[in-house]
Amino acid sequence: MSTASPQAPTVAVETPFQRLRSQFLENRLATFGLILLALIIVPSVLAPWVAPQNPFDIGKLDIFESQLPPGSVSESLGITYWLGTDGQGRDVLSAILYGMRTSLIVAFVSVTGSLLIGATIGLTAAYFGGKVDALLMRIVDLQLSFPAILLALILLSVLGQGIDKVIIALIVVQWAYFARTARGTALVERNREYVQAARCLALSPQRIIFRHMLPNCMPPLIVIATIDLAHAIAAEATLSYLGIGVPVTQPSLGMLIANGFEFMLSGQYWISFFPGIALALIIVAINLVGDHLRDILNPRSAQ
Amino acid sequence: MRLFTGTLATSVAALMLGAMPLHAADLMIGIKSEPSSLDPQFHVLATNMQVAFTMFEPLVMMDAFAVPQPALAESWENVTPTEWVFNLRKDVTFSDGSPFTAEDVLFSFDRVAKVPNSPSAYTLFTRQIESVEAIDDYTVKMTTFKPYPLLAADITSVVIMSHLAAAGDAPEGKTTTELNRGDGLIGTGPFTFVSWQKGADFVVERNPNYWGDAPEWDTVTMRPMTNAAARAAALLAGDIAVMEDPPTANLSDFENNPDLTIAKAPAGRVVYIALDQQDRESPGISGTDTNPLMDARVREALFISIDRYGIVDRVMGGLAEPAGDLVPAHFLGSSPDHATAPTVDVERAKALLTEAGYPDGFSIVLGSPNGRYVNDVRIAQTIASMWSRVGVTTEVEASAPPVFFQNRDEMKYSAYLGAWGNGSGENLTTLNALINTYDREQGKGTANGGRYSNPEVDALLAEAASTMDDAARGAILSQADSMVLNDFGIIPVHYEVPVWALRNGLTMEGRADQYTLPQYIVSAE
Repeated sequence: MSTASPQAPTVAVETPFQRLRSQFLENRLATFGLILLALIIVPSVLAPWVAPQNPFDIGKLDIFESQLPPGSVSESLGITYWLGTDGQGRDVLSAILYGMRTSLIVAFVSVTGSLLIGATIGLTAAYFGGKVDALLMRIVDLQLSFPAILLALILLSVLGQGIDKVIIALIVVQWAYFARTARGTALVERNREYVQAARCLALSPQRIIFRHMLPNCMPPLIVIATIDLAHAIAAEATLSYLGIGVPVTQPSLGMLIANGFEFMLSGQYWISFFPGIALALIIVAINLVGDHLRDILNPRSAQ
Repeated sequence: MRLFTGTLATSVAALMLGAMPLHAADLMIGIKSEPSSLDPQFHVLATNMQVAFTMFEPLVMMDAFAVPQPALAESWENVTPTEWVFNLRKDVTFSDGSPFTAEDVLFSFDRVAKVPNSPSAYTLFTRQIESVEAIDDYTVKMTTFKPYPLLAADITSVVIMSHLAAAGDAPEGKTTTELNRGDGLIGTGPFTFVSWQKGADFVVERNPNYWGDAPEWDTVTMRPMTNAAARAAALLAGDIAVMEDPPTANLSDFENNPDLTIAKAPAGRVVYIALDQQDRESPGISGTDTNPLMDARVREALFISIDRYGIVDRVMGGLAEPAGDLVPAHFLGSSPDHATAPTVDVERAKALLTEAGYPDGFSIVLGSPNGRYVNDVRIAQTIASMWSRVGVTTEVEASAPPVFFQNRDEMKYSAYLGAWGNGSGENLTTLNALINTYDREQGKGTANGGRYSNPEVDALLAEAASTMDDAARGAILSQADSMVLNDFGIIPVHYEVPVWALRNGLTMEGRADQYTLPQYIVSAE
């Protein structure tokens, strides 16, 4: 913000961000969601330092300590498995922290990627209109007519396994939402005076799109991005649950749930249950934040 | 309102149906995989064989321990090394009432090579046979090209079809499509065909003309249920009375459940790790330019770093036996020196790697099918963990079975997890498939994905293949087997123990070939 407009005069009124913050904190539920999100994200990001065990270091796993119930004490490592261990002898708590890290990385990177690609395409379509607009929007329509999970499944079966592949697949299935939203907003902005003024100055389309229109189209895109974050986490979990996402030795939440499924009938609930709870919490937290953000940023729903 | 009463009536009816006990003489079996065809000579596949054996019988039938026993042939004799005479039973009729004679045997053996488009042909079992002749109505002579000791074992997979019922315009008589519809499915087996729909139930009823002991069941339904947890839930709910392959994680619960009984078969299929032994830059290995697996010390390090007892206990839930050999000890031609599986030795493995010039180890990718063998991916992960512990950083690449087998055939793995079922009861077939130098034309080493090659072993196997005396052949096979294992040419992990779970006091004799045959499922009393 500050680098974009170094000559902007400093004004005493509260900045949009300050206004956003005070409006956001008015809603207790959303504040709760934000705190919950922080409580989940911080330990996940710090997983290598706070997790009792590195579940991805398979040389350290002990098959004789597999399927232990919550609260068991490890004989070889001397740590307590607060949430038990899974079928390979991984500490479920550590696996959740590391798995969440994977889920969050995949979600953030894929949503950012989709946002960049989608916004560029949407703004381009809106700015140029006519045939360009028709062509790009028909591609978007085509894209949206495919069920997202099916498309991701096909892509992953072609691309193979790996975190990078999952990210690519999720970008491909998500960009269209951003493109459509960006176009809708930009169509309104295109006819505003400041854009006409910029055109009169014969600025390049590139400059008009990215420097003038984009900042004004951001609020709805941010809202979509927040909600889409939850979708991306759920989609990654689904793909991994189906066994085609991340590698088996580096399980994400979805794969942890899938791995525990076979132990359910024999009463070893913890292998699936706790990762499931973690997945539900993170999606609820993001949705609470995202919903409220939408309420604030939507001018029509303002008080 | 009307709609409501309708719905109510349906649900009441459904409730009553659900509450009614199954008729005692109807048997419902949950099978893990459906047959690809009902033509018993179309596709060599365990699921096809097991439905074929409800309706058809071979001349010689394997018993539960994979030892050939008289079936439609009451006796046989190896008159010269290449000539076999089979004496047929005289009291047998087909399910349509027509008599069984040598004519049907000739027709069935002749048909094998004529069935078109087979994904995996039954000629596998007949290609050693030069001719099949009828001496009289109840005597058949088979001549092999070379002395071939496994003939009796091989023809256990060739069932006898009625030459009258299966006659047709096509060269093979009734075509596979016609047989899939039930047209011409006339055999001498204990059951006769009722209905089959691909993806759904296969139903048979008792054969009133059966020559042997009448089976206990009026009708038998085999329902494909691919998900093990779904099969287990159906068994617990009483929807099915028998299930194949209960999940290993549930087995201890099932054993303690008074409503259920567990049937186990003799250990058979060996799960192994094949190692790339070609002098090349191996695709899955990094951290070194050459192929470290060419060095027997490295192979030994990988061999002894696996805790087989741990895998059997914790991953397989006790449903396996640790393996030090390629076939269990009761098979002909197993190696007595390798009858007990080695215990894990991490220190020695590390010392061997250092000695071989890899003190810091190297990285390797371990390929594994996902869902082909019992707990395959979990076994691969556990082995990866054990190898990583001695310094060989291992990554597991798990793929759906078709992708896995394609990658294996293109030799994209430096190490992979495989399994080999042996239906012949002797080591010759296992060694021929997994160990013999790869030779596609000769049909040897067809599953030797590591391309292990040892001319001395090949010579011994060729000698065994033409040795008719069982004891002498067994000794040669043991010698070849020991040479491979002392060279660490392949890494056996464990033998799978096939398991079934049954309800309502039913019992069955578990078969080493893993077929679920309803004629051997009986009430306890």
